[in-house]
Amino acid sequence: MNVIEVSHLTKYYGKARGIDDISFQVNEGEIFGFIGPNGAGKSTTIRLLLALIHPTAGSAAIFGKDCIRFGPEIRQEIGYLPSEVFYYDRMKVIDLLKYSASFYPKDSTARMHELAGIMELELNRRIEDLSYGNRKKVGIVQGLLHRPKLLLLDEPTSGLDPLMQRKFFQLIQDENRCGVTVFFSSHILGEVQRLCNRVAIIKEGKIIETADIRTLQKNNYKKVQLMGAKIDPSGFDLPGVSHLEHEDGAVRFFFKGDINVIMQKISSITVSDATIEEPTLEEIFIHYYE
Amino acid sequence: MNIFLRELKANRKSLFIWCIITALFILLGIAKFSAYYNNPAMVAVLTDLPKQVLSALNVQAFNLTTITGFYGLMFTYYALLLTIAAVMWGTDIITKEERDKTVEFSLTLPVTRARLVTSKALAALVNCVALLLFTWVASIVSAVKYQPDAEFFRFLSLCMLALFIMQMVFLAVGIFLGCAMKRYKLATSTAISLLLVTYFFSIITALNSKLDFLKYFSPFKYFDPAAMLNQSKIDIVFVGISAAIVIAGMAGAYLTYTKRDLYI
Repeated sequence: MNVIEVSHLTKYYGKARGIDDISFQVNEGEIFGFIGPNGAGKSTTIRLLLALIHPTAGSAAIFGKDCIRFGPEIRQEIGYLPSEVFYYDRMKVIDLLKYSASFYPKDSTARMHELAGIMELELNRRIEDLSYGNRKKVGIVQGLLHRPKLLLLDEPTSGLDPLMQRKFFQLIQDENRCGVTVFFSSHILGEVQRLCNRVAIIKEGKIIETADIRTLQKNNYKKVQLMGAKIDPSGFDLPGVSHLEHEDGAVRFFFKGDINVIMQKISSITVSDATIEEPTLEEIFIHYYE
Repeated sequence: MNIFLRELKANRKSLFIWCIITALFILLGIAKFSAYYNNPAMVAVLTDLPKQVLSALNVQAFNLTTITGFYGLMFTYYALLLTIAAVMWGTDIITKEERDKTVEFSLTLPVTRARLVTSKALAALVNCVALLLFTWVASIVSAVKYQPDAEFFRFLSLCMLALFIMQMVFLAVGIFLGCAMKRYKLATSTAISLLLVTYFFSIITALNSKLDFLKYFSPFKYFDPAAMLNQSKIDIVFVGISAAIVIAGMAGAYLTYTKRDLYI
């Protein structure tokens, strides 16, 4: 079953583009990465899923139900962590968490204390006295305490120190092992690469690629580097070659296509060294964004 | 229930401040009144003012040497105070979620927007009633010294009823503007401007009888303190108009708030 089903979803703020004709599916039990730079439309997409804003065209469904019509019902099973966490400043952390828990029919007290323990959260402080990172921790506990079936994470690690990030990833992976589906929006490739099964890349409001993270790395691009004094770089200006650069007798480029074409080309010239390797996701990503 | 209780708690401080303002206002009024009390000479000074001015200030209809007459004059100022509080609570209780960026929390919980509006409207209503009761009690306490009679209490109760209706009108207007306007900063200033414009209408209708039709646009003209004092009645037509405004305002609030994009 598809937990999230987005079809031709479009959002314009007046004339300003939010997202434009986006379609994708998230399967039950997977960690789905949603990656793109700031302003690409990641938060817009999540806010549409949560019915905070209404689509200009297209539709989105979660658990098979329309996000706008059945919003309150599907939000019973959703945990949301916004990129910037804002709560009622004058409340204490514990009161805020209890308030949040009171909206769900189940008793979440035990889980709340367990999560607060894991995230080392001080429950008796006022929200307004908390640092950015500590607010984020409150957000994590608040988003998870009702044991949601779907997690929507919008740049969840910003503000967390590396130690907390690790604990947080552990928490997400544990949840995922228990069957929770995760929608993970980020502009940091390392964390997406580490956690996600599949990834959608969004650029200027459009999805330019949706793929299995391994396929993305393995099948598409090769990073080629050749060393040799007499290499003519223009000889590699072939179809499928991109980012061709050369300096001090080294030629580097990315290649997508039949690898034999490149192998034959290399064997026809003299090189002192050659490496062909998988690009990192970082490199793929930059390629997509140029 | 949880939203309602949280809102009540969050608004305690604001209610407290409005109670202090009202108390100070009554204290100042009574201090002035003590000069007029049983002192016709002071009133003679007033009658020298132009007739239009007196009429605009609502001074003409009342005998300012009695406590009842004094409260007849105070009615307009009570009305201003309580309606400003009501309209501000109305817009603020809705718009503060967007202003403080807490919508991403409060409206991603499993609640409908209608439920949020209902709970918040009820909390603001409780605030209005609390401020009204405070005003009522403070008025009685400060009048005790000046031998209030049965007529005074009857008049004061009627005033409170009229004030309550006016509060409800402006509360509904405030909630509507808070819900309908995406620019939360504009909502409060629009609400206050609207209130002041309608108050201004109520003054110019008193100055010029040709502009009498404007009274339908000014809740401050709906309930005439002189009629409440002399005939012990409030005009049922304006009760009807008030009810219509409240219903239209709340219906508009629900309709617009459930349909619009939140400002994040």
